[in-house]
Amino acid sequence: MTARWIPEAPTFSERASKLLLMLGGLLVTIYILAPFSWLVLTSFMHEQDALSVPTQWIPANPTLSNYLTFFDPSGTRAVVGSRAAEQTLPSMVNSLIAAGGTAVLNVIFGALAGYSLARITFRGRGVLLAVYLGSRMLPGIALIVPLYLTIRAYGLLDHLSALIITYLTFTLPFTIWLLKNYFQAIPRSLEEAALVDGCNWWQMFWHILLPAAAPGLVAAAMFAFMTAWNDYLFAVILTSTIASKTMPVVVAGFATDVTTERTLMAASGVLAVIPPLVFAFAFQRLIVQGLTSGAVKD
Amino acid sequence: MDSGVREEAARWSASGVGYERPYFAFLLNTPALLIIVLLAGYPIVYSAWISLHKFSLKRPRVFDFVGLANYRQILESEEFWSALWITLEFTALVVVLVVVLGLAIALLLNRDFPGRNIVRTLILLPWAIPPVVNGLMWQWSYDSKVGALNGLLVSLGLISEYRGWLSYPLSALLALVCADVWNAMPLAVVLLLAALQRIPVELYDAARVDGAGPLQLFSYVTFPWLAQPLLIVLILQTLSAIRAFDVIYVLTAGGPGTATTTLTWKTFLTTFDSLDFGLGNAYAYTVSIITLGLALVYFRILYRRGDFEA
Repeated sequence: MTARWIPEAPTFSERASKLLLMLGGLLVTIYILAPFSWLVLTSFMHEQDALSVPTQWIPANPTLSNYLTFFDPSGTRAVVGSRAAEQTLPSMVNSLIAAGGTAVLNVIFGALAGYSLARITFRGRGVLLAVYLGSRMLPGIALIVPLYLTIRAYGLLDHLSALIITYLTFTLPFTIWLLKNYFQAIPRSLEEAALVDGCNWWQMFWHILLPAAAPGLVAAAMFAFMTAWNDYLFAVILTSTIASKTMPVVVAGFATDVTTERTLMAASGVLAVIPPLVFAFAFQRLIVQGLTSGAVKD
Repeated sequence: MDSGVREEAARWSASGVGYERPYFAFLLNTPALLIIVLLAGYPIVYSAWISLHKFSLKRPRVFDFVGLANYRQILESEEFWSALWITLEFTALVVVLVVVLGLAIALLLNRDFPGRNIVRTLILLPWAIPPVVNGLMWQWSYDSKVGALNGLLVSLGLISEYRGWLSYPLSALLALVCADVWNAMPLAVVLLLAALQRIPVELYDAARVDGAGPLQLFSYVTFPWLAQPLLIVLILQTLSAIRAFDVIYVLTAGGPGTATTTLTWKTFLTTFDSLDFGLGNAYAYTVSIITLGLALVYFRILYRRGDFEA
């Protein structure tokens, strides 16, 4: 196309198609936001407002009492399902430890393995790649019984460490794959220059290569965090008390208990969404890149 | 200069940590391999072993080798075929909806319009929501007495009275599908949008010069570039739909009756409700075999592209 100095006024059909596109965008926005905002709005309602018919869409008397109940479960309000309310905040701490621990260990082990696959030519590299890719495909439900028996044999049931090591199994293959791709994109000359300057391998790895792959490390840590944070299947089987119960377990407890207050349940759901949602929006670009390169190698 | 670097690199290699030292490579892989072998490799073998035994937590002392009896029991039971059929229905519906919706949204977000970047950001929201919370959110929306769906449909005049959407087999299955699609759709959008953005603009210009209309542009330019990403979305989505668990647990618990009892849910019930670990593992293995078959197809696609060894 040739450049024009004076932009032409958009024709009718151009304006109509732009309008249609905007309408489509609006529909998508509603589809995404409607169910979620219903949950958020409910969490700020009084129980009787949430149960009113016809439906009250916007809370008439917005309240923070549902959230405050988590801080003071035995307080002023006689709460139905107060045990779950008591467990909400401690389980959030458990979830943060389990997901944070998974993310950190995951990046350390993943970077080492990813580097070897990106840089070193050795017999068995193809086999290792296949093992990593293949283990990503195993359904969790198939591993749960032997895992349960093994972890029980080691006396680690109801320990957060058991959860962390289980989550590592599921997050490492993806991380290794992702970081291998990142390392391959970094020019070898960077490493070779560090060597010429007299670095040994560890110095080069820590001070040169890892900083250069920082976006990949952040993305990998975030995916690992979210996988661990979201898990329910393993958490519900491997934990039993608040010593290690994670948030999804407590939230699911709310959801399957018909006597629980709906507003309290909504508030616990909103709390469980905050960390992954903050990460998703703060690191939007990295996530999109990571998802793409994790599924299809560019 | 270049040869100097190469010399240095060779010296470095010789000093023990180079590009061609297999034992160093394995050393770097040790922690990751150890974890994966111990917590995925060993369990998958152990699981096969258990599936060949009569073993129930109700009678934990009994661990009798029964060969393939558990598998025979599964294949001869109506429950298995019903669960397999429901898995197929659920998976097919989820996959088709995710692909169609994902493609439509990706095509939309590939066009230029005011507000596009906001929608591109928002699209990540459902992806970030834990499946348990997703289930809870939809359970609340589908509620038979006060739910938002009932409220909305009544106020629009589409239905005259509130309904228990999760109490009837067909609507429960569809409700489950809708909930899972909402959660899963962003990944498809992200992958397909990335693929659309890789298509060189010149191709469209050239095709337009040749007089191609919108439909021809899509089928001769866009689609060939999308075929492989679409296939990958299809397989990843199939794998994850077969594995769906959290959302079923919270939303329907396999009911009403067995209307939403998929193979994964049946495996869970057999294992942790009936505590029949032998039969449960045979179920789990059946799910694994189906999943691994699909995974092999996925490898082939990646491999054919020449990326696997890259």
